[in-house]
Amino acid sequence: MKMLMKEWKLCMHPMGYIMLLCAALILVPGYPYGVTCFYMGLAIFFICLEARENHDAAYTLTLPVSRRDAVKGRILFCTVLEVIDLLLIALFILIKQLIGGPRNPAGLDAGVALIGEALIIFAIFNMIFFPVYYSDINKPGKAFVFAAAAVFLWILLEIAGTYTVPFLRDALDQPDPANMSDKLLFTLAGLALFLGGTAKSVQMSAKKFEALDLSL
Amino acid sequence: MVSEMKSPLEVRGLSKNYPAFRLQDISFSLVPGSITGFIGRNGAGKTTTINSMLSFVHPDGGEIAFFGLPFAEHEAEIKEKIGFVSAGMTYYTRKKLKAITAVTKTFYPGWDDAAYRKYMDAFGLDENKTPAELSNGMKIKYALALALSHGAELLILDEPTSGLDPVSREELVEVFLNLKDEGKTVFFSTHITSDLEKCADRILFLQQGCLKADDTLDSFRDAWQIAECAGEIPPALAQAARGTCRTRGGYTVLVRAEDAEGFETREASLEEIMIHLEKEAEKE
Repeated sequence: MKMLMKEWKLCMHPMGYIMLLCAALILVPGYPYGVTCFYMGLAIFFICLEARENHDAAYTLTLPVSRRDAVKGRILFCTVLEVIDLLLIALFILIKQLIGGPRNPAGLDAGVALIGEALIIFAIFNMIFFPVYYSDINKPGKAFVFAAAAVFLWILLEIAGTYTVPFLRDALDQPDPANMSDKLLFTLAGLALFLGGTAKSVQMSAKKFEALDLSL
Repeated sequence: MVSEMKSPLEVRGLSKNYPAFRLQDISFSLVPGSITGFIGRNGAGKTTTINSMLSFVHPDGGEIAFFGLPFAEHEAEIKEKIGFVSAGMTYYTRKKLKAITAVTKTFYPGWDDAAYRKYMDAFGLDENKTPAELSNGMKIKYALALALSHGAELLILDEPTSGLDPVSREELVEVFLNLKDEGKTVFFSTHITSDLEKCADRILFLQQGCLKADDTLDSFRDAWQIAECAGEIPPALAQAARGTCRTRGGYTVLVRAEDAEGFETREASLEEIMIHLEKEAEKE
């Protein structure tokens, strides 16, 4: 909790708040909705950049906490932001469904399956960004390029899949409440990947950060 | 094995290898309630030593114990009893001091608000300012106020007086002396040796990654004498010389006190000893 407060009070970048608002892009017709999750990744990159510019690692490591605690604190804080983003995405999906409108030609429609998709995107981002970032905390840009490339590749595959992969096209990319059991299963799988992937990311990141010689 | 003595800091056989630099077999121990000056020119390895002590970098060898406890196994416990201040590092420059303090205090069970107020007042610090609005000297004082408010018994200061004007440096030296009077142990790296002449009890002299001296300030200075020569250095003096420097009027020659008999010499300052020894090391 102390580390969460420290991250929020000292490391939170204004882009974090702004990017949360990007969840409203769900209301834009014909928009690749997976990209709204990418913006949260961008916010996390800005938080890590802000941390570097403010010598956050040097400050944190003089506190009575271990390197592992420092890593856990940062990733947990970013995960909380992602969860808030997910809740906002769910809210805007609900609003979008109430408003109605044409089907989305750029990937999954705004429905339950999109939450599963968002969870998978966050899982991919967390599993790549944090371990690369904690192998050299002075180069958050490198970590972001790798993570963003993987996220965009997944989004492209997802969009293509809604035209070519039968399960995506016929089960997930259909207006709610059709195929709800498939969609819930997909979302649960996304949740498992998000939780497991983020936990694995903490483990890998802590190992890398513990081995790192810091040039503070 | 690190000894049982509860020195605030004990370092044994510390080494760290970089492609272009080696820190070799550094061993020393701090005396509680004293000020120890850690001197050496830029690049001698002072910051590498401190970074290794605090585990910012991983030493290739050696043992480090704070208050008799190995750092790796007692990291949190040790960090509650030490304060680290580096002149070259300012945290969260755009945050108000009160915001930084509010976060920092949550990590220390022994945080003392009254002590914090006392030091903030004594140092003339305004909590509503940001580090960016403080002079370098005031930034150091704020970092010290934080460290002292969580009850740090050992203060590790990396080049705290670098870049400060003489008056600010003098103020900080007074602060260190006051802290010593309160029973705190101060470990103070610097290349501005004149500050140490005013406050240090002990001197550690680091040269090219090797610890060349670990002594009291008085003993360290008493071991050396300076001879001033107008014109060429006499051959007998040249033979005894441990370092020479050009001056406007000729040369200054550093000799060991026991070799100074027969020459006209005077006391050597810390700065003169360091400069002459460094120049000699360069020749080698």
